[in-house]
Amino acid sequence: MSNSARAQEWVTRRERGSLSAIRLGVWIARRLGRPLARLLLYPVCLYFCISSPSAARASRIYLGRVLGRAPRLTDRLTHFLTFARCLLDRVFLLGDQSDAFEITVHGEEILQEIERNGGGCILIGAHFGSFEVARAVGRQRRCDLPISLLMYEENAQKIRAALAAINPNLATEVIGLGRRESMLAVAERLQRGHFIGVLADRNVDGRDMVRYEFLGAPAAFPQGPFRVAMLLQCPAVMMVGIYRGGRRYEVHFETLAPAATARPVDSAVWLDDVMTRYVTRLAHYCREAPFNWFNFYDFWG
Amino acid sequence: MTLEIASQTTDETELAQLIVETLNLDIKAPEIDPLGSLYGEGLGLDSIDMLEISLVVSQHFGVKLRADDEANAEIFRSLRSLNAYIRANSGP
Repeated sequence: MSNSARAQEWVTRRERGSLSAIRLGVWIARRLGRPLARLLLYPVCLYFCISSPSAARASRIYLGRVLGRAPRLTDRLTHFLTFARCLLDRVFLLGDQSDAFEITVHGEEILQEIERNGGGCILIGAHFGSFEVARAVGRQRRCDLPISLLMYEENAQKIRAALAAINPNLATEVIGLGRRESMLAVAERLQRGHFIGVLADRNVDGRDMVRYEFLGAPAAFPQGPFRVAMLLQCPAVMMVGIYRGGRRYEVHFETLAPAATARPVDSAVWLDDVMTRYVTRLAHYCREAPFNWFNFYDFWG
Repeated sequence: MTLEIASQTTDETELAQLIVETLNLDIKAPEIDPLGSLYGEGLGLDSIDMLEISLVVSQHFGVKLRADDEANAEIFRSLRSLNAYIRANSGP
């Protein structure tokens, strides 16, 4: 469990970024507009690179694994810049300016079929690229996907407030984790046909971390999101929003597990099967778009 | 150290049995303290376990547990309070 304790510590650490800083960031981004704000990211990244040695180290370790060679300085800066650009784009993606982006979608028929059947699904993502483009996809189709995001309560409060600052309509679509009723709320929303987004590459509920081979070494992944899909017999769909540079995003939906009419006979086998698929696909996307990985802590620790 | 725990009623043991089987707990049903907390400290259940409990309770007793019920703090407080809620809300 020391690993989960470390992940927890990381979450807490990230929380120090205060709400007023988020608001200030949103305000500046809007005042400057995207092109100018992007220029500002260079010094910000350089500062971040220097002031957060542990994040810089984690980035080096990850890049070494995914690139299969020692990362160069340009690789490391590109990694931080990609992260910062995706963060910045959130402001514009969520703030009804998604038309300004070129978003290509793969596997949209998977969502359409789920919508036709009237059920919801669990959208399983990662701290990889931009999850927010999913909303933009819905908006492009002139119908907002009813997406709720699952995240830690402490994070959730900040994110709710930040979302409210960007677009008030989004504020309630966050479900806090780590409460007794968290998963009951998930179940109820799924029954109403919601899409529940969860990033399944970090500890979700404090337990059930399972190690899988990932980019050449074992890393711990939470079983929770997959268990919920299994219990509720709803589809588990992987969602990845890759930032491709400029104004381009590429969204991929893939079925990890289809809707089921019954619980699996052997839940351990089912979970292992679905999680293996998730981890394998995640590694595939990492190799495909290495700088989109946004876990800046020792992921294999 | 042995702690004196309150004893379970028959109904409570039945519910405890159901919970232990559903969640594959490493504890025997009669060993669950009927007054101890289910979630977090106490039995150490997480919110996914609570979801499993709500699913099995709905299946077995036809009682729906809801995320936004204001009485949840009381309902989920212990085996005893959960059992009381189920018995009061399940059909005759």
